[in-house]
Amino acid sequence: MGKTITEKILARAAGLPEVSAGQEIAARPDYVLAYDWPGQTDVIFREIRESFGVDRLDEPERFAMFIDHMTSGENPKDLAFHARTRQSCREYGIEVYEGLGIGHHVAGELGYAAPGAFAVHFDGHISQLGAYGTLAIGLRRSLIEAFVSPAVTLTVPRTVRVDLAGRLAPGVMARDVFHQLVDTLGPDSCRFQMVEFGGEGLGELTTDDLQTMGGLAMFLGALSAIVDPPDDARHREARRRGRRDFGHVASDADACYSARHRLDLGTVEPLVVAPHTPRNVRRLADCAGLEVHRGYIGSCASGRIEDIRAAARILRGRRIKPGFVLNVVPTSAAILRAAEEEGLVAILTEAGANVPRSTCDYCYGRAGTMGAGERAVSTGTLNVQGRMGHVDTEIYLCSAATIAASAIEGRIADPRGYLAEDKE
Amino acid sequence: MNDIALRGRVAYVFAEADFDVDQIVGVEHCGEQDMNILLEVAMRSFDPQFAARVEPGDLIVGGRNFGYGHPHYPAMQYMRHLGVRAVVAESFAPGFWQNEINMGFIPLACPDILSAVQRWDEIEIRWSGRIFNHTRGIELAYDALSPRNRAIIAAGGFIPYLRQKLGNRVT
Repeated sequence: MGKTITEKILARAAGLPEVSAGQEIAARPDYVLAYDWPGQTDVIFREIRESFGVDRLDEPERFAMFIDHMTSGENPKDLAFHARTRQSCREYGIEVYEGLGIGHHVAGELGYAAPGAFAVHFDGHISQLGAYGTLAIGLRRSLIEAFVSPAVTLTVPRTVRVDLAGRLAPGVMARDVFHQLVDTLGPDSCRFQMVEFGGEGLGELTTDDLQTMGGLAMFLGALSAIVDPPDDARHREARRRGRRDFGHVASDADACYSARHRLDLGTVEPLVVAPHTPRNVRRLADCAGLEVHRGYIGSCASGRIEDIRAAARILRGRRIKPGFVLNVVPTSAAILRAAEEEGLVAILTEAGANVPRSTCDYCYGRAGTMGAGERAVSTGTLNVQGRMGHVDTEIYLCSAATIAASAIEGRIADPRGYLAEDKE
Repeated sequence: MNDIALRGRVAYVFAEADFDVDQIVGVEHCGEQDMNILLEVAMRSFDPQFAARVEPGDLIVGGRNFGYGHPHYPAMQYMRHLGVRAVVAESFAPGFWQNEINMGFIPLACPDILSAVQRWDEIEIRWSGRIFNHTRGIELAYDALSPRNRAIIAAGGFIPYLRQKLGNRVT
């Protein structure tokens, strides 16, 4: 019986000839990633010293810390928190990255998303590194094991395979594809398992697209997501950029899957996820016309160059509705630079949007906070109640294109109308 | 090890699929760290008398994919503070499940639990994978925890477990 890409990566990380789903193993992470966050990083640094007496790390170059939360409107307490983390990182020899954008994406830019690598974080959205063929798992508070021990203990997950086919229709984005998967497969369809993306439809999606889809895998119940590269060309650039080359790693044709699904990208339409849970997927037509006050394009899930291009395509030469607040927050500083070079930032700001520097803070309401009674369209990761500010708010998740169209009208609107209009 | 994990009553049934545990304390309090405030606000929309009625050793029951969404810690901290020791649900969102084990709590997946219990039933849970509803004379199977997860719970959480495990190796 063949092996999945996940089983192959974990076998190497565990130093075993092979492993199979269901087996408990101790796997050595190639990369240990974290962002600075109260209750996580402070607890780790305190506990490893006080409870475990760890004063040096095994190969500290495997570790990376990202300061991407609490980077706007900082108060002295936040500044002190980040300063303590920088100090701890200095003591342990951990590289700190700040000012570069959202760590889950920046990790890819910096080569931590090496194809075939095994990476761990406390946060589950790290699953997006699977777009590069990296197995990246959010361990939550179990992450501390990676700081006090050479390996982390885990059960090799089973895999749900999703074969993609066809190509996306105009005005439909990767974000819609993910929401379609939640609707079709169900919010608990991949519990404790990997979601593996493959099939010829991969050729129609960029790595950014797949990062969007993979980064939200937890809302399918999945442990993480990973792309099975169809050939060694797919991840050639990522291997070149990777901090280490793990070779070409892919699933065997006869690998064992717990389920296999096929999705024709051409059948996906713009979708909206209504409040207050990520499972509430609706057809855009069912929500169209609903008054909205605020739009957010950004987060570790969306906010990449394709999202910014899609918004600019629709907002070029148009104005957002007076009173509507549109925040377009690039996922990384490099993306902001690219958007500036392409003239997209000028288009967006002329339309009335704010384009601040990259940060996680808009996604959870620390920046761009929603006031009572407001309703937002958002590409953030989540629409649970109060996520972006006051409890008395509603968040509709959708694609960047849908948000741009909605910003013009002040109502949830279909982006396809604007794209068709521009063609005429 | 004694096979009886716990004997207690079903203190509440959260039957909704994909239940967001932040509802227990109310979304506006999902990050609350002050237990006195949590004791005042939690369970208000479910049973305002909950804190007075629950007893140490009780458990709660949930539906399918319990803990979905973006669960914060206070809801279960509140439950543990009142002595609730376990949640038996049809199934769990993985992040929630592992996290609660790491806090020394007992989350058990039992596909038939909702149809087999009502509030205040007397329940006995055995580590070996059986649940007994003594009130109704029903016996159910659940997905037994791995030896490692049982050891984490026995140690009182992931950090004490790791400390025991690595005790000889870390100076």
